[in-house]
Amino acid sequence: RDFPRSTMFAKALVLALALVGSNAFAPGFQSGFAGTRAVQHTSNRRITGPMMGGNEKQLKSRIASVTNTRKITEAMRLVAAAKVRRAQQAVLATRPFSETLQSVFSGLISRLGQESIDLPLLESREVKKVTLVVMSGDRGLCGGYNSFIIKKSEARIKELTEQGIEVELVTVGKKCVGYFAKRDTPVLKAFDMGQAPTADEASKISDMLLASYLAGETDCVEIMYTQFVSLIASNPSVRTMLPLSPSGIEAEGDEVFQLTTKDGQFSVESESKPPAEAADFPKDMIFEQDPLQILNAILPLYINGQMLRMLQESVASELAARMQAMQAASDNAKTLKTDLSREYNRARQAAVTQQIMEIVAGASAATE
Amino acid sequence: SLDSPASIARSRIMFAVRAVRPLARAAPAVRAFSEAPAASVMTLNFSLPHMNIYADKTVDRVIIPGAEGVYGVTAGHTPIVSQLKPGVVEIVHEAAGEAEKYFVSGGFALTHDTSVTDISAFEAVKLDDLDAEAVKTQYSAAASAFGSAAEGSAEKAAAGVQMDTAKAMGDALGVAL
Repeated sequence: RDFPRSTMFAKALVLALALVGSNAFAPGFQSGFAGTRAVQHTSNRRITGPMMGGNEKQLKSRIASVTNTRKITEAMRLVAAAKVRRAQQAVLATRPFSETLQSVFSGLISRLGQESIDLPLLESREVKKVTLVVMSGDRGLCGGYNSFIIKKSEARIKELTEQGIEVELVTVGKKCVGYFAKRDTPVLKAFDMGQAPTADEASKISDMLLASYLAGETDCVEIMYTQFVSLIASNPSVRTMLPLSPSGIEAEGDEVFQLTTKDGQFSVESESKPPAEAADFPKDMIFEQDPLQILNAILPLYINGQMLRMLQESVASELAARMQAMQAASDNAKTLKTDLSREYNRARQAAVTQQIMEIVAGASAATE
Repeated sequence: SLDSPASIARSRIMFAVRAVRPLARAAPAVRAFSEAPAASVMTLNFSLPHMNIYADKTVDRVIIPGAEGVYGVTAGHTPIVSQLKPGVVEIVHEAAGEAEKYFVSGGFALTHDTSVTDISAFEAVKLDDLDAEAVKTQYSAAASAFGSAAEGSAEKAAAGVQMDTAKAMGDALGVAL
């Protein structure tokens, strides 16, 4: 009699795993699942007949646990949506600063004109070693987000090592920290990503990279992050942070996203903004410091801003991926509940039919 | 880049002078009238990497801690661009009103010929939010690190910068260090 129950349990486990993805046992979520209260089958039913068999009880408790799972995944989806909105507000808040920087930078470049700008952060050198910064999330349950960026990083590492270039890593986000810690490529430093990156955190990373670059310990710094495209799509991409390219800084337009609703569904509206206009430096402008010195001072600020922006975009992409994953899980839970309910009703009806047949058979035997 | 001893000294003196004449403007030699049609009011944009403190705010005048010395800006000021050193940005909204003070860690300030001033600082806090006790502890820690570090080493330079910043905060709060 134990045999059918254990296969039922095994099936329930496999289905639950399929629902939630292989990250079901990520810390923090397991308690939600394991602690699900199995709703007791109450006896306020019209027919309290004899033995229904263990099948119906199992099905009833499964239906209850699937309903609970659906509530949890729905809640996680809405929490992720709220956080996406906050993440996008944070991105918007950084724009005035970077726009001013961009405008002053372009103005200074045009003011310096044909003079060759000899700044350590702008000159490119022969690349023998590359520092690759990988940005992933801290937690799972976000679909393919973490594995996409890790795969892309591995491909880039392979590409570089095939060219004979040494690679070292800076990992941001517990998921890639854990992954790369067990692999061959040396990790310079590991950071946590968090859900709301601050300018302080970004500057810790970029100051370390700047110091390393200026000391000659590395020849190029590349960042692997996930660009936010829409709620469904995001784009793991690589971007060279150091050495800086003046034309890159000047020409960079921007795309701003806003999480809104359309027809009762979440959607994202994007708006592209052109690069900031070069600041006008009239002839009577007083330069308290040499323009070149000011330019040199602006570059680290620009790099800090870029780092913060990439962290924020990665977080926004992670949250959007989590929204999608939880949406899929909720939909699966809904379908599963419908199927289970149908099966439960069929089993119940079969039991009732069986009872009736037994009664009728007994009655007809008695009357003979 | 390290400040030359002369500019450090000059800025210390400027601090002392400013303490005696609180509402006086900067040295007249710096001020001049721009060729462009002078706007009658000045507009301030004060931004940090993670937020905007003021955007297109009409103010009466701003006192800016430039790296070469503290200077004040009102409507019609000559265009000027300057790096900031750790110090206090004072914003006076109304002509007769009290100054709103922010302690900034550094950055740069740009005044256009349209009387628009952009201040971009890396970190800015309201002066009221600075803790005098913490500043004293920081200064003594930095001073001892400075004393014990090897001559010409990175630690000595870093400790020197920390001392200067703590000193600037102490000056801003009126705390003797």
